[in-house]
Amino acid sequence: MEPLSLVESVLDNLPVAVFAKDANDDFRFVLWNKKQEQITTVKASKAVGRDDYDLFSEESADYFRSVDKAVLKRGKLLKVPEEIIEGKDGQDIHLRTVKIPVIEEETGRRLVVGISEDITEQVQARAKMESLNKNLLETNRELQETQLQLIQAEKLESIGRLAAGVAHEVKNPLALLLLGVDYLSDGIDPDDPNVDTILKQMREAVDRADRIVRGLVDFSSQRALTREPVKLHAVIDEVLLLVKHELTRSNTTVTVEVPDDLPHVFLDLSKFEQVVINLVINAVHAMSESKKPTLQIKAHSKKLDGVVKNQGARKYEVFRSGDPVVILELIDNGCGIESADATRLFDPFFTTKATGVGTGLGLSVARKIVQLHGGELQVIDRSDKKGAIAKLILPTKIDTGKVPVSSKSSK
Amino acid sequence: MARKILLVDDEAGFTQLLKMNLEKSGDFEVTIENDSMKAITTARSLQPDIVLLDVVMPGMDGGDVQAQFQSDSTLTNVPVIMLTALVDSAELSDGAVAQSGSSIVLPKPVDLPLLLRVIDEATGEA
Ligand SMILES: Nc1ncnc2c1ncn2[C@@H]1O[C@H](COP(=O)(O)OP(=O)(O)OP(=O)(O)O)[C@@H](O)[C@H]1O
Ligand SMILES: [Mg+2]
Repeated sequence: MEPLSLVESVLDNLPVAVFAKDANDDFRFVLWNKKQEQITTVKASKAVGRDDYDLFSEESADYFRSVDKAVLKRGKLLKVPEEIIEGKDGQDIHLRTVKIPVIEEETGRRLVVGISEDITEQVQARAKMESLNKNLLETNRELQETQLQLIQAEKLESIGRLAAGVAHEVKNPLALLLLGVDYLSDGIDPDDPNVDTILKQMREAVDRADRIVRGLVDFSSQRALTREPVKLHAVIDEVLLLVKHELTRSNTTVTVEVPDDLPHVFLDLSKFEQVVINLVINAVHAMSESKKPTLQIKAHSKKLDGVVKNQGARKYEVFRSGDPVVILELIDNGCGIESADATRLFDPFFTTKATGVGTGLGLSVARKIVQLHGGELQVIDRSDKKGAIAKLILPTKIDTGKVPVSSKSSK
Repeated sequence: MARKILLVDDEAGFTQLLKMNLEKSGDFEVTIENDSMKAITTARSLQPDIVLLDVVMPGMDGGDVQAQFQSDSTLTNVPVIMLTALVDSAELSDGAVAQSGSSIVLPKPVDLPLLLRVIDEATGEA
């Protein structure tokens, strides 16, 4: 074993690189410990007596020299949080360095002492984390986009199914208009009391056709989720207009008990209509065997006393105790829900209907939409008699719910 | 003598205007029934020469109403014209029209001259 001074042996066993340069001798290295050898792959015997320009690229050397001079000028310790030197295989080595100005007691030399820690692994880990995080955000954004696309696709599907009924509803006012035109085109007798009635009826027919066409166009529009304060009653009216033909054909009696003075709900009108249309059509299908098909639509508001827990995704547990909510229920007297099906209703593609009648996407998409609104959707078997209840819990505050319009990283 | 027409359709505005048009264009006496459930009762007391019947109605649809007429001895020979805002052929096969073998079907919006011609033919006035 080679005898070493205490200081030398301490220096060579430190887990950090230590070096010193003599400012009075053109910044030539006077100290170069073992760790510094490992990091730079330059032996102390090669380094001592040389300067940065002998050992590193000109660019790096310029940089080191400028820092050294700054340290001396300040006369105080200087921290360099991250600097990069080239390692043996050309890989970057990241260092955290402190440089200290020292005047040597015995000789009076002005030295710059550097202590460097190899932080390459930490830096790489951090970069990896950042890219993972970026990927995650990107994936999340894509997922939300896909969800919105899925919602739109499902909507197009229901528009296709509603179209015939809507066209039918438009043809009625058209039939009336044509009769009016026929009557009036023979020449108008100012004393004919029918003329007033006919003109009034024609005007109403135009309004009606306009309303229903506009309703369908609004419904089909593809927009990002945009929530606005909405009166639930208005939503229900609009939906009933679009499904009127389906209800008439199936002989369904609809009763609506939605008070006018309910608090506003914060909804995306068109997407929420999609939810209610789906639920109404589901009820109509379920009641196809019922003697007197009856659909009750009821709503009330209340303050939640317990926190509603969603069995599904934890992130949607958005209701807090005391939150005001509006509860909307669609109660049918159809076939009800088999207990074996109860847990599968919301599975995508779960359907008990013939091909062409149902794709089984309705409820899964409806729940997704309601959850995007920070609400909750349940479909349960009726306890009082045969039938099912679709129950919607809707927030009345704008801050409830996750709205995936733009996802930003929290930086 | 004026021919008696029974007009069964849930659309009150439509029936009102059709009545006005028919009565203006010919020697008709038009009775309106907007509730399909009451169509048979109204028809029994009216004994119309012809019935104009909507297909899609709440309560009973046109097919149900016609079946009632056919099983009533006083009405079974009364000609029936189905009016429908027919959109898909599914609606035809849905029952209403398919069941009523001999009926005449006219689309809504109604072509008035065509309707008048069909009424004349059906009531033997051509
Ligand atoms: N009100 C209800 N009463 C009884 N069963 C219902 C009711 N609503 C839904 N279901 C059952 O849940 C299944 C899934 O409904 P969902 O709306 O997801 O799909 P679908 O109606 O079959 O098809 P789609 O909505 O895609 O046209 C239905 O096939 C039916 O069996
Ligand atoms: Mg459905």
